[in-house]
Amino acid sequence: MERVSPIAPATGGRRQRPGRLKDTQTAILLVLPAAALLLAIIVYPLLNSMLIGFLDKSLIYGGGAFVGFKNLEAVLNNEFIPVLGNTLVFAIGATLLPFFIGFGAALILNGPIPARGFLRGAFLLPWLVPSVIASFLWLWIFNANYGVLNGFLRSLGVLSQNNSWLSSGGSAMLAVLIAKTWQTFPWIAVMLLAGLQTIPADQMESAAIDGANRWNRFTHVTLPHLRNVIGIVLLLSLIWNFQHFETIYVMTQGGPAKATTTFSVAVYQTAFQAFDLGKAGALGILWMLLLSIVVIVYLRFGMRGEEDFA
Amino acid sequence: MNAKQLTRSLIAAGLLMGSVACGGQAAAPAPAAATKAPAPPTVAAPAEFTFTGWAINEGASKDVVTGYMKAYGASKNAVIKEQPYPFGEELNQLVLQASGGSAQGAAQLDIAWLATMAATGKLKDLSAYAKDRGYTQAGLLSGQIKGVQYGLPWTTGSIGLAANKQLLDAAGVTSMPKTVAEFEAALLKIKKSNPDVIPYAGMTAAAQLKDILFWIWTFGGTVIDDKGNVTLGDAGSVAALEWYKSLLDRGLMNKEMDRFTARQLFSQGKVAFYDDAIVMKGIVTKDSPVKNLGDLIVPVARPVLKEGDAPQALLWGHIVVVFEGKNADAAAQWAQHLTSDLGTTTNYFEKLALPPTTDAALKADLVKKDTFTSDWSSKITASAKANPFALYAASARMESILTERVNAYLVGSVPTAKAALDKAAADITPLLK
Repeated sequence: MERVSPIAPATGGRRQRPGRLKDTQTAILLVLPAAALLLAIIVYPLLNSMLIGFLDKSLIYGGGAFVGFKNLEAVLNNEFIPVLGNTLVFAIGATLLPFFIGFGAALILNGPIPARGFLRGAFLLPWLVPSVIASFLWLWIFNANYGVLNGFLRSLGVLSQNNSWLSSGGSAMLAVLIAKTWQTFPWIAVMLLAGLQTIPADQMESAAIDGANRWNRFTHVTLPHLRNVIGIVLLLSLIWNFQHFETIYVMTQGGPAKATTTFSVAVYQTAFQAFDLGKAGALGILWMLLLSIVVIVYLRFGMRGEEDFA
Repeated sequence: MNAKQLTRSLIAAGLLMGSVACGGQAAAPAPAAATKAPAPPTVAAPAEFTFTGWAINEGASKDVVTGYMKAYGASKNAVIKEQPYPFGEELNQLVLQASGGSAQGAAQLDIAWLATMAATGKLKDLSAYAKDRGYTQAGLLSGQIKGVQYGLPWTTGSIGLAANKQLLDAAGVTSMPKTVAEFEAALLKIKKSNPDVIPYAGMTAAAQLKDILFWIWTFGGTVIDDKGNVTLGDAGSVAALEWYKSLLDRGLMNKEMDRFTARQLFSQGKVAFYDDAIVMKGIVTKDSPVKNLGDLIVPVARPVLKEGDAPQALLWGHIVVVFEGKNADAAAQWAQHLTSDLGTTTNYFEKLALPPTTDAALKADLVKKDTFTSDWSSKITASAKANPFALYAASARMESILTERVNAYLVGSVPTAKAALDKAAADITPLLK
């Protein structure tokens, strides 16, 4: 039996006129410009940057001799492990900290509080500040010599002398995470607030009538309802934080002693400060492979989410 | 839709997009042949080129230098386009432009960057423009790589030690310390006298830890020896770094200190000693709350390890280079004018206190009578040495390796100075090519 497209007009078995394109050919021609654009601005640069990882190429000397896995080997034997560790600490920290704060903010903003409309708008302000500007603000707050934080803590008597927040590895990473959390949590709060507002009020009322307390209503009604939103928010945040650059670069340039050097900072410094494109490309390959794992999880989760909604 | 219709549609869409992308050009009507006017007399088109530099980005110098650009452009039928960058970003931006083939015009460079830029192979040889302009020999050398004059010297000086005499007097430091031991004693007195004053705002932020170089020299280290071997990790460099960290540990220096912060705090009268280039006077006195700060600044010969040693300082300066390409000659003429025109260079000194690089300008009354500049020149610049990495194309990377390792020791992530400097030497050695 001949299969007929539900939207294509039936041809009634007539023969196609010579010179007339088949549907598939038309479709290919229509897709061609977009595909060409995609190839030019995404696929080609991606493949080219991966290829550079196998070349001895410098921004100063040029070059371009094929060196096989030499760059990858050099990167794996040197900075890879510490950079991976820093990237994971930053990506996970900068995902979970704003998530919990954003979730708390969303729950508060979803409740019957005074000036709720105003607060919903005001909460968005940190997210509206450009990331580089916000990073400079936090850099000045944490500055060891004239920072607001030291001044405040000294005025309270908590500190007797200025503390160097950005001079030790642990506190520098924490400072960067605090700055990133401040910038990001409003977006998470807005996403979760939107999810909270889709929970039918009658379900909550029924649960309350059935004797569920606030905690039970939260764990048995709210959380299951927000499962997909939470999943998407966490995965997207993780992907973005895995790639994040500006907050770290502005506040610490990857220091002290590389304690906050993540993949994005390492690739930038290798390519544009050491001018070693080959090693930067090798770092980029490893970075992309790791990021691909998270992206695959995201895609699978996204598809499952669509099936759940279907 | 048949093939012809689709092809026509795609071509039409492409043409439409092209005309949109080209703005008004595609839509501009062609002049009618009937109304064609006689051609006007030929006037040479103004030479157009860019001038890149941090001097046209920083508040203190921006108006001064852009003023020169406008005046020169008006008098020479030239259009000089500004391309400002922050100091810390300019080198990689220029390298990117040079490697992409888009670098053009003239550019201000730190003398330490010249080898890197010369290695790109895009700089114009300015030997012809350096002749008979009266540049000092030291200035000319700062713009040369392997005997080729790639840069015209704009200012030549040094990074040296400056002190706030008022704070020293208040602490009972009656004479400038001549040895490291006297320097330490002075710092301790200052700390005891006023705990809110930073005795020595030595650089401790990674970005400016190249300042360790002159302390390494002071303690007898060489960094790179005459045979071209990296000697970091030798007794002198280890002693210097251990001593430097001891100042930090004793609270005689502050953590996270960079040049910007040191200048701000010195300007506010909160720093007794710090290292900077001669340009510092103009910067710290601008908007300073300290009355007559300019009169209180004293250039200090760097304390030596033992009497009889030569005080150490780092040669510092700016040059102007020109990229090969369109209007390179016009850009070279501008570079020559900016760096050697008597009126321009003495005015530059007057406005920014940056020493000129021609004999004529150095002999000008305005420069000769400036006691701060003459003191700085005799006490500091006279014995200044060039950055040992400056001869190498990978100088920026070599310097950052050293500063990263020194920083690692200062913040405690490497246990010993020896380990930090040995690692720096091992990482720098492969870059010596």
